[in-house]
Amino acid sequence: MSEPSGSAPLTIALPSKGRLKEQVEAWLTDCGFKVESEGGERGYRARIGGLPGAEVRLLSAADIAQSLDQGEVHLGVTGEDLLRERGGDLDARVMMLRALGFGRADLVVAAPQSWIDVETMMDIDDVAHAYLVRTGRRLRVATKYHIQTRRFFADHGIADYRIVESLGATEGAPAAGAAELVVDITSSGATLAANNLKILSDGVILRSQAHLAASLAMSWTADQLATLTRLMSVVEARADGRDLCALRWPSDQAAAAELAVGRYLDQGATRRTDGVLVRRADLFDVSAALGAAGVGPVSVTRPDYVFSARSEAVDRLKQRLGR
Amino acid sequence: MLTTEARVDPARLAAIRAPFEAFGGEALDAPVLQPLSRLLDVAGEALRARLFVVQSEQAEEQALRPDFTVAAAMAHIGSGKASGRYRYEGKAFIAADRGSNAPTEFLQIGVEQFGAPPDCAAEDAEVASLAWAAALAGGRGDLALRLGDPGLFSRFLKALGVAEAHARRLMRAFGRPGAFEAELHLSKAVRRDGAGSRLAEQLIRASEAEAEALLQEIWRLSGIQPVGGRTAGEIIGRLRERAQTELEPKLTLAEADLVARFTHLDGEPFAVLDAVAALAAEAGADLDQGLQDWRRRLDLIAGSGAPMSAMRFTTRFVRPFGYYDGMLFEIVSPQLPEGEPIAGGGRYDTLPARLGGAPGAIGCMIRPGRAVEAGR
Repeated sequence: MSEPSGSAPLTIALPSKGRLKEQVEAWLTDCGFKVESEGGERGYRARIGGLPGAEVRLLSAADIAQSLDQGEVHLGVTGEDLLRERGGDLDARVMMLRALGFGRADLVVAAPQSWIDVETMMDIDDVAHAYLVRTGRRLRVATKYHIQTRRFFADHGIADYRIVESLGATEGAPAAGAAELVVDITSSGATLAANNLKILSDGVILRSQAHLAASLAMSWTADQLATLTRLMSVVEARADGRDLCALRWPSDQAAAAELAVGRYLDQGATRRTDGVLVRRADLFDVSAALGAAGVGPVSVTRPDYVFSARSEAVDRLKQRLGR
Repeated sequence: MLTTEARVDPARLAAIRAPFEAFGGEALDAPVLQPLSRLLDVAGEALRARLFVVQSEQAEEQALRPDFTVAAAMAHIGSGKASGRYRYEGKAFIAADRGSNAPTEFLQIGVEQFGAPPDCAAEDAEVASLAWAAALAGGRGDLALRLGDPGLFSRFLKALGVAEAHARRLMRAFGRPGAFEAELHLSKAVRRDGAGSRLAEQLIRASEAEAEALLQEIWRLSGIQPVGGRTAGEIIGRLRERAQTELEPKLTLAEADLVARFTHLDGEPFAVLDAVAALAAEAGADLDQGLQDWRRRLDLIAGSGAPMSAMRFTTRFVRPFGYYDGMLFEIVSPQLPEGEPIAGGGRYDTLPARLGGAPGAIGCMIRPGRAVEAGR
């Protein structure tokens, strides 16, 4: 692929409203960036302080999924549930660069609690068939997630059902008599329960969370890729910073200390002068090993960032773009 | 992407059409736009991916007709007549997969016959022979007639004495590779016992009214508000049925083996029927009537032109989006990809009842674009 040139900015689509917007801003702020909206609070464009060469578009989460799919933005933050709903071979058009750990929600199949004979998708298969035979109509599934519903039901061999468009509150459809089943996003199941619905034991279609994703349908200039590399290196450095801690021992005890932490070095801990970088989860094990070897005092600090020379995610993207 | 197929030479098309005209019947002028909801009710949600859906601001969603069968059934039911014969010719529309260049808009000619047949085997043979004659007129010399009959399988299960709930599950999994084997395996396995069987016994012993009252009480005690389109009677009925099957003997290993062997039969039709008869004899099951009907059907089809050597019977044969419940067939050519039959059809006795009419229906259709070899 030839490299497009020019100085067009890297376009990043971020959520314009709701809880996801707050979470994305909190995440970027934590990384050391700052979303600065242009044209006041309600503007739909913004810049990121600390990331020159990038331009932010504020869109709804669903529009972000669409923009990534259709190649209208380079990057976007949105839920995997919405991306997967774009259908077909999504991975040919969009690459997930990083799961962000927030915006968690499950896409689930829920049935009325009063159906005490129904627990699994296999029960649904049975019931759907009996319903068709009795009424001549198919069991109705209210959802906004047509594509994933269809795929999931097909995987379970269920054919005797119908999807009905849900306008507004999907989970209210059974109570309103508009559907028998619901496929919807839930984080706790509380709303479903409040509507007298239960999640089927094997009814989780997708465990979704927010992702930073790149559009493969977009053309990328070298400058845009460089801006992405800068963004990713900070994002990953911040995540590693939170995950790692730096141990430092007296330089005259280096030989004993290195022996004591040897097995952690084998497991991916990083050696540094008179010290080591280890996962926080391993900290107490490592310090115990050092204590047992008579090494001390050992100081521990938590780094703000741990920058790496390479980003595996950026490498993956470059490879897909043929660069 | 919308692609049309190459135009069929008018003389050739007339030859393909001739057997349908000879069959007779009222010419059906089906609307191009069909109510989406009815199509999906009939064929299932999976069809949606194959439909071109159209929506105006006011009306409910419509789809470009993917075939004529549902439209013909509706027209017949609307006529109020006990029986009826319909003939149609027109474009049908089916969306292709991403990246496929299969035509999405194509010509289809067919017939549908409604009403309880005086002689089912004769009617089946007439329709299959008609499709064969039309396909032959397309000019290909390498046609094969594939035959199947889900009804025969259902009769086999019944004759074996398989519990009804089990038989239904097996029937449903019939057309799905993998699912059927899994289902058969499950029905061999010993299901849960002990726990819950006291409730099961109570449910079975209770009268229907008592059982329903029990369910109402469970709902009330657990603070459940019933929603969804199933009645208490329906839920309790299924619980009772399940309780019953838990107490009943499952498929024995020998029975499961017979079922598996039945579904693997495939080949020269009379040989397959003989093998089915042998399996039935082994099982001590009576399938004589069904097999006799099939032998007569085959003789009749062979008598009207299709050579026995071109026929193949596959016990496991089903058609996609099929509502067929009796004889079904496809006419195929090795030159065409798998899943692209030239003609096809079969008996779908139960469908009209689902649409509000009386049972009894058979039909077939041909795609002239496939019947004619490219470049001829």
